[in-house]
Amino acid sequence: MMTDFIFFLSEAITGMRRSGLMILISIATISVSLIVLGMFLLMSANIANLGDFMASKLEIRLYLRQSASEGGESDLRARIAKMKEVKSVKLVTRDQAWKKFQTNYPNMPLADWVRSNPLPDTIYVKLIDQKDIESMAAYFRRMDSLIDDVVYGGVIAQQIKTVSNFLRYSGFVLVGLLTLATLLIVMNTIRLTVIARQHEIEIMQLVGATNQFVRWPFLIEGLIIGSLGSGVSIIILKFFYVFFVQWFQDTIPYFPLMYDVNTLRTIYLMLAGMGVFLGVIGAFIAVSRSLKTTF
Amino acid sequence: MIRIKNISKVFPNGFVALEDVTLHIGRGEFVYLVGPSGAGKSSLLNLIFRSEVPSSGEIYIDNFALNSIKKNQIPYFRRGIGMIFQDYKLLPRRTVYENIAFALRVMHYSRARIRRQVTQVLELVGLSEKLNHYPSELSGGEQQRICIARAIVNNPPILLADEPTGSLDPDTSWEIMQLLSKINARQTTVVVATHNKSIVDDIRKRVVGLENGKVVRDKELGPYEG
Repeated sequence: MMTDFIFFLSEAITGMRRSGLMILISIATISVSLIVLGMFLLMSANIANLGDFMASKLEIRLYLRQSASEGGESDLRARIAKMKEVKSVKLVTRDQAWKKFQTNYPNMPLADWVRSNPLPDTIYVKLIDQKDIESMAAYFRRMDSLIDDVVYGGVIAQQIKTVSNFLRYSGFVLVGLLTLATLLIVMNTIRLTVIARQHEIEIMQLVGATNQFVRWPFLIEGLIIGSLGSGVSIIILKFFYVFFVQWFQDTIPYFPLMYDVNTLRTIYLMLAGMGVFLGVIGAFIAVSRSLKTTF
Repeated sequence: MIRIKNISKVFPNGFVALEDVTLHIGRGEFVYLVGPSGAGKSSLLNLIFRSEVPSSGEIYIDNFALNSIKKNQIPYFRRGIGMIFQDYKLLPRRTVYENIAFALRVMHYSRARIRRQVTQVLELVGLSEKLNHYPSELSGGEQQRICIARAIVNNPPILLADEPTGSLDPDTSWEIMQLLSKINARQTTVVVATHNKSIVDDIRKRVVGLENGKVVRDKELGPYEG
């Protein structure tokens, strides 16, 4: 068994050395495909994460009319605070909001081209139970003429969910096409080493080699190509993502980016699995065609 | 050992390679298949080796009924048959040792056993000192010896040779035939397809004559012709 394995491995390596450049192209193709796939997975994970983040905020925002007086506001707040579904009520005045905006986004020269503060006074309502969020939002909308608009995380979370679903389904198509293209390239690469060894395969079959035995070196070759290809893609993606997260945090602070270690590990493992799968299946198909023609 | 019953082989283009051939070859026999090119010698060997299937008729080799053999059994069947070719079919990028060891690797032999058997067979064919040479460094006769060594290294009960002396000079041809006789003396059944008249007439064995795909004569110790 061990003798066989060493033989197969050395056969695989000899085969790869003979068709060097094509092997490199194959590895690069797998890498590029898996990088695209990986970016896509990271994007989906982030959008899903954003949706969760939004939904987790048990908060309803009541934007008040510009004309609202201080007195009307505090009366409204008091009435809301008395409701049994409400946990807390907080007022953020337009001046406070404007200042906060300017500190959060110092790079945005909004003040230069907006003459006066465009933000409304806002009442933030926190609920005890997330379940009530829709009915409460609907209630607030009809509650008082002071309330101009009602926004709650649920709506945004819902919209993000729609986007993320759309991405997921279009992603399946994308992943499918990429997989197919990569598979074809890997298949043709290994086909070249198979053809280079056609003579050898024929002799192997003449001296009584089983198809299984003939196949092994090529499967190992596919496995190596797939592993190297996915390895390269994972390293590049890891660096890219770390860099991306830093850049994004600098540009838009407090944005809920996904950097959960487990999720990232799952994504990288998926890419590794995909690379190995592509390499081995490609090799299998490439060599099977040769096994058929000899009989 | 080899039983061939009413075999016909018709190729898709309509060419009849063999027609109603019936032939029995016993254990330990040495048989020449003779006849002009296209008489069906190679086709018959290919049918025995199961690299082709007959259009009709039956073939039994040892315990194998080739008409009903399963595809995944073919490799195991072939391990019982050594095959020698006019063009040797050696792997150019492998040494003599590797070329012969190849046949045993396929059978999952251990490294030590491979070394032992290859050494033995190289001694038998008289090329022990060429172990680490590449086929291109050897003469035609030496390459044919390596091919024979590969065919018999696992002691198969049957040895088939398709024009083994086809590209060799008379002296070397003679040596190769002596070697095949020596192998036959170890109870290996040997079938040689050849049109080398002088060899067949000098080293007298059973002769089966083929013409246009039919057996036209079958003589113990017969000469090449009639």
